[in-house]
Amino acid sequence: MRRRLESMAEDATRALGKGSLPPGPVPEGLIRIYSMRFCPYSHRTRLILQAKGIRHEVININLKNKPEWYYTKHPFGQIPVLENSKHQLIYESVIACEYLDDAYPGRKLYPFDPYERARQKMLLELFYKVPHLTKECLVAFRCGRECTDLKLALRQEFCNLEEILGYQNTVFFGGDCISMIDYLFWPWFERLDVYGIADCVSHTPALRLWIAAMKQDPAVCALLIDKNIFLGFLNLYFQNNPDAFDYGLSC
Amino acid sequence: MSGGSARSLGKGSPPPGPVPEGVIRVYSMRFCPFAERTRLVLNAKGIRHEVININLKNKPEWFFEKNPLGLVPVLENSQGQLIYESTITCEYLDEAYPGKKLLPDDPYEKARQKMIFELSSQIPTLLICFLRGQNKDDYSGQKEQLHKEFSKLEEVLTNKKTTFFGGKNISMVDYLIWPWFERLEAVELIDCVDHTPKLKLWMEAMRKDPTVSALITDAKTLRGFTDLYLQNSPDACDYGL
Repeated sequence: MRRRLESMAEDATRALGKGSLPPGPVPEGLIRIYSMRFCPYSHRTRLILQAKGIRHEVININLKNKPEWYYTKHPFGQIPVLENSKHQLIYESVIACEYLDDAYPGRKLYPFDPYERARQKMLLELFYKVPHLTKECLVAFRCGRECTDLKLALRQEFCNLEEILGYQNTVFFGGDCISMIDYLFWPWFERLDVYGIADCVSHTPALRLWIAAMKQDPAVCALLIDKNIFLGFLNLYFQNNPDAFDYGLSC
Repeated sequence: MSGGSARSLGKGSPPPGPVPEGVIRVYSMRFCPFAERTRLVLNAKGIRHEVININLKNKPEWFFEKNPLGLVPVLENSQGQLIYESTITCEYLDEAYPGKKLLPDDPYEKARQKMIFELSSQIPTLLICFLRGQNKDDYSGQKEQLHKEFSKLEEVLTNKKTTFFGGKNISMVDYLIWPWFERLEAVELIDCVDHTPKLKLWMEAMRKDPTVSALITDAKTLRGFTDLYLQNSPDACDYGL
């Protein structure tokens, strides 16, 4: 599968920082996402936009130097935020993903059946420690600190997910086809390698098969971030360089 | 009456049979604020249900088959399907059952309710600290925190200019938030809404709602339960029966 070059990606725009002009209203027929190219939470929402073929524009935010106007979009300046042409703002990544599934036609990513929907939401609860643990591992790794205990804790979480796949005997978390829950999990698994914790799935074969299957999905592929560019971003980010967010963009 | 006043089941109790068709079962505890959310929705939607109370200080072994975490509330239907986490149970009921929809149909309004609910997310943790008397060292600090959280909700009501969080009428987000405000009096924190007049008016409007008033527990009973619960008494969950 030919991966799109970084410079052709829909979100390949420079991050807006302090002093930047606030963007105008969102044109009809489009939805806007305030994002950051390497943020896993934004990644979830961008996956849904991609998977459902929703016409959208991306405005990247410089998270180390946030524009003043951005706090009118989110009270704490967090991403992702969706803004539509009716000036409606939606945030929290999971809420944004569900909104897109509800508001836009085409393929539904959440199941129709209320019990199956509830099941996906219960699965999401099982995942809640993973983002924090992966981030802690990354920070420890980057700061040259020990992270054996953290990795053990992460492996335990992955064992829980492995158990689900084993019990269900399906490739994906929602069944035989990819669905919302898989997209909600994916960003952290894509980052295992660049975070230096790819070995945390060494004991979980079903999870490894899931990862391989996810990499075949067109939406996942379209948004896959080049490893070297991600590493370049991480290097600058951990040096507190405000240009980190634009790493890899052609001038 | 839906059996909400039945004695709780503890260790050694036989597991209940399957759920009859036409009924949904909720595993609950009479004073649990999380389970109260689910019971509010069951009642608001007029859903035929049976209640099995669980002795949370002496849990039956079979209960872990219903929820591996051993927590209430849990829903079980006649197909043997189990749903847990209070907000997930509430949303499931709204989707699966006909009648009055508690969540809006409009995708943005539905998202808005969820965003408002997120704004309230620190309140349970804070109140549980007060209920457990765990904050003797920093009582005023925690109270200040609570004020801040209440101010966030006050701002929503001020901007919306409506009585309830979802608009003119009571809806899902009001029921989800209510159980915590019901308990303010029992922990002597009712003065925390003095700075938030719209929130105070919301509380009064909530008390007038038929579903809320049918399930309300007075402060004295809540205190009686809490005292026993903090002493880890296996009789706590049946207090007042």
